[in-house]
Amino acid sequence: MFKELDPILHSQLRLAVMSLLISVKEAEFVFLKEKTNSTAGNLSVQINKLKESGYIDVVKQFKDNYPQTICKVTPKGVDAFELYVKALQSYMNPSSNK
Amino acid sequence: MEQQHMTGQESLRLISEMIHKAKNSYHDSGLGPLLWGTVITICSLVTWSQIHFSFSLPFDIWLLTVIAIVPQMIIVQKEKKVRKVRRYDETMMDYVWTCFGISIALLVFININIISKLNPVFEKYIEVTGGRPEYTFSSFMTSFFLLLYGIPTIITGGSQKLKPMLWGGVLCWVCCVISVYTKAEADMLLTALSAVCAWLIPGIILRKKYLKSAPANV
Repeated sequence: MFKELDPILHSQLRLAVMSLLISVKEAEFVFLKEKTNSTAGNLSVQINKLKESGYIDVVKQFKDNYPQTICKVTPKGVDAFELYVKALQSYMNPSSNK
Repeated sequence: MEQQHMTGQESLRLISEMIHKAKNSYHDSGLGPLLWGTVITICSLVTWSQIHFSFSLPFDIWLLTVIAIVPQMIIVQKEKKVRKVRRYDETMMDYVWTCFGISIALLVFININIISKLNPVFEKYIEVTGGRPEYTFSSFMTSFFLLLYGIPTIITGGSQKLKPMLWGGVLCWVCCVISVYTKAEADMLLTALSAVCAWLIPGIILRKKYLKSAPANV
């Protein structure tokens, strides 16, 4: 029986953002934009979806008079990411599901 | 990056690509190790010269280490300003080096107190025997410092997978053992050697890496 893939994570940009955030403690919006080669508008929408799902925390603050958005993966996000990877692996190696 | 349907393989490829990008997104500027490697080397070599050539400066050269805290703070603040990502191990490293700095300050404080208490004993010794003791407490002080130098250096070198720094830290401990058997003059050369190998050389390596990958250091 195949595990169902989390629809929140099974989207290219959201998965890219989660993969980046899982590797670091926290990252700025600009960092995520540069690494994912996405537009600010699209990234902003996807980040909001991840935030609404409780997978990431978003802190908006000011740094040297400039707005700064810091994203950080939550424990719920870590669990969801691990489950997603396990589900993917089960698709790749169906024998492991027996 | 557009929103599109992905196969399992594409998802896994994307995950590993992003993890790789995050991993290579930050390199130490190397300025901290360069600064401290230079300062400790200069202080040790000047102290060695003072003992070897029998002269003394009108001030304690080791005060340079106190002055060096200012550029160190500036480096930390500048790096914080340009940094757009924070790694998990950075907090731990901050604690390790802060503890090291405090330990060095405490060791200086302890040493000053021990020396002030032991000085009358040595004066009495000189008075009674008419000669100077071969070893004084100060000839063992370097061993304590080298012991401390090794700890954060080995932790940083090991956790950052920076072998020159790791081996530099090990060398600090080797020099620590040797310095137990050597006099203050040789101890200063051992300190200079340790500072060059533990901080100056790794600092140069880190700086070169940092400048080479400058666009990645967001």
